Amino acid sequence: MSGPVLVLIERRNAAPVRPSLEALGVGRRIAGPPGTGAVVAILLGSGLEPAVAQVAELGADKVLTVTDARFDVFHAAVWSAAIAAIAEELEAMTILVAGTSNGRQLVGRLAARWGAAAVTGIADISRAADGTLSVVRPVFSGRALEEVKVDAPRVVLGLRPNAFPPPDPSDSKTPVEAHAVPELSALPALGTVTGFEPAQSGSGPDLSEATVVVSGGRGLKGPENFRLLEDLAASLGAAIGASRAVTDSGWKPASFQVGQTGRTVSPQLYIAVGISGAIQHVVGLISSRTIVAINSDPNAPIFKVADYGIVGDLFQIVPALTAEIRRVRGN
Amino acid sequence: MELLVLIKPVPDPETRLRPNATGTGLDTDGVKWVLTGYDESAVEQALLLKEAIPGSKVRAIAFGTAPRTEEILRSALALGCDAATWVERAADASVDPMRAAEALSVACKRTPFDLIVVGKQALDDEAGLVGPAVAERLGVADYGPVVDLRWDAAAAKFTFARAIEGGSERVTAPIPLVVCLQQAWNDPRTAKLQNVLKARRIAIDKVAWADLPAEIKSAPPGTHVGAFRLPPPRTGAKMVEYKTPEEAAQKLVQLLREEAKVLP
Repeated sequence: MSGPVLVLIERRNAAPVRPSLEALGVGRRIAGPPGTGAVVAILLGSGLEPAVAQVAELGADKVLTVTDARFDVFHAAVWSAAIAAIAEELEAMTILVAGTSNGRQLVGRLAARWGAAAVTGIADISRAADGTLSVVRPVFSGRALEEVKVDAPRVVLGLRPNAFPPPDPSDSKTPVEAHAVPELSALPALGTVTGFEPAQSGSGPDLSEATVVVSGGRGLKGPENFRLLEDLAASLGAAIGASRAVTDSGWKPASFQVGQTGRTVSPQLYIAVGISGAIQHVVGLISSRTIVAINSDPNAPIFKVADYGIVGDLFQIVPALTAEIRRVRGN
Repeated sequence: MELLVLIKPVPDPETRLRPNATGTGLDTDGVKWVLTGYDESAVEQALLLKEAIPGSKVRAIAFGTAPRTEEILRSALALGCDAATWVERAADASVDPMRAAEALSVACKRTPFDLIVVGKQALDDEAGLVGPAVAERLGVADYGPVVDLRWDAAAAKFTFARAIEGGSERVTAPIPLVVCLQQAWNDPRTAKLQNVLKARRIAIDKVAWADLPAEIKSAPPGTHVGAFRLPPPRTGAKMVEYKTPEEAAQKLVQLLREEAKVLP
């Protein structure tokens, strides 16, 4: 096997995003143990230092920085041109990209640019003895699984958030190298980013990246009762989601909706509170590792897809659960 | 404004999924192939733009085998698209999403366009590769996942938002452009019977498999599906038995920490 595995590290508010760190762990897994194949983390933009310091503790063989303010805004055309040029130069064979909104927009373009194969939505990955990569990806909203074999020498792989553990920080520091900004001529006419409107989701993590999601449904009886879920979410460091009934009633903005018409989430833990479990909602959460349902109706369909269920009054159960989590976590 | 919309036939969402005999794909026996989800929403978005921008035309383009591909192009025509291009795929041809993007690019290059509208992914394989890969092959910018797409006639630019983590990014972009749409369902219109009948008489332009470049037809695609299976069925929740809410909370937290191992 020749050439390093390139791992793109995306940042938000100067820090590397968790899905990119998960990709670093996957990079090590497919490159082999240190000394056999190289893992190269790559960061683009300006003000990279805080992110570089964090990434340098996570077991890559090299951290490459490409410092240019043109990368501070994401344009798939610009990023793919730069990354393809660097991959060419380093003679890389594999590029790993996290399944963020930007990452999902990048994979197809980068693969076309670099003359590579591409696979997205990867939930598991392995490399056979002969070097062939094989990945597992949920399809049909998680109702089926595909095992895809990579036949091309070059491939861009898009990973599902929360499917892989991020590497543990180590004491050894990865060497950091500044890389020249590739020639970015012949770019298409680009758009201009004119503003950013933060989602009204409070201070918690983003829904699609959160490792724990607490979601509320009509059983909450009114928007004011979401404070019960906010307390529970705060005790767990969780993001808050909602069923379509809740967003359609205007209790929460549409950006909170988990389901076929909303967001698809795949956290380690999904807690559905007062949600009956319509199929429309379930397809948005079915890839979660562990699902908990709290509902007063023992026949609610959500109990068929959940791993653990509590039948009871959420107005009593949820505060007790928040208190218990605070107790075991010592806060 | 010349608008192109890229669509593909997908199994009806109500389809009961079963692996085929070799376990390498969906058993397509009896499957109804339809225009739905992201693709149907993309058609709706293109038609809304056509109505908003005088003198616009919408062409639907699809790559795939007969007859399902022609059928969804007829559906798009019945909804109000002005023209359609069928890029033929030989029934025994091995393709993957990147290869589909190559084939679609061939058809796009034969048609003048200002905007290409595509769903951010297909409802079945959820790859999300076609829009960005087509944009690269055509040498135009692409943006996604896009919501709230509008034409600003005074500035001669499109404005839209990208629904990204933590919020929404406002973007203004010149043409030509590829946009990958966020929404799977945007209350698309239904076709009137008279338009369904009229759509049957519209000639669909065809790019024959034989006319596609040799590298698309002969070289194997970069990936193949080795296995297609259903996830293990969920057996139903383990129910927590309790006398007080506190006991329920304690038992659940213990299960999450010690059995599921999802809480530190």
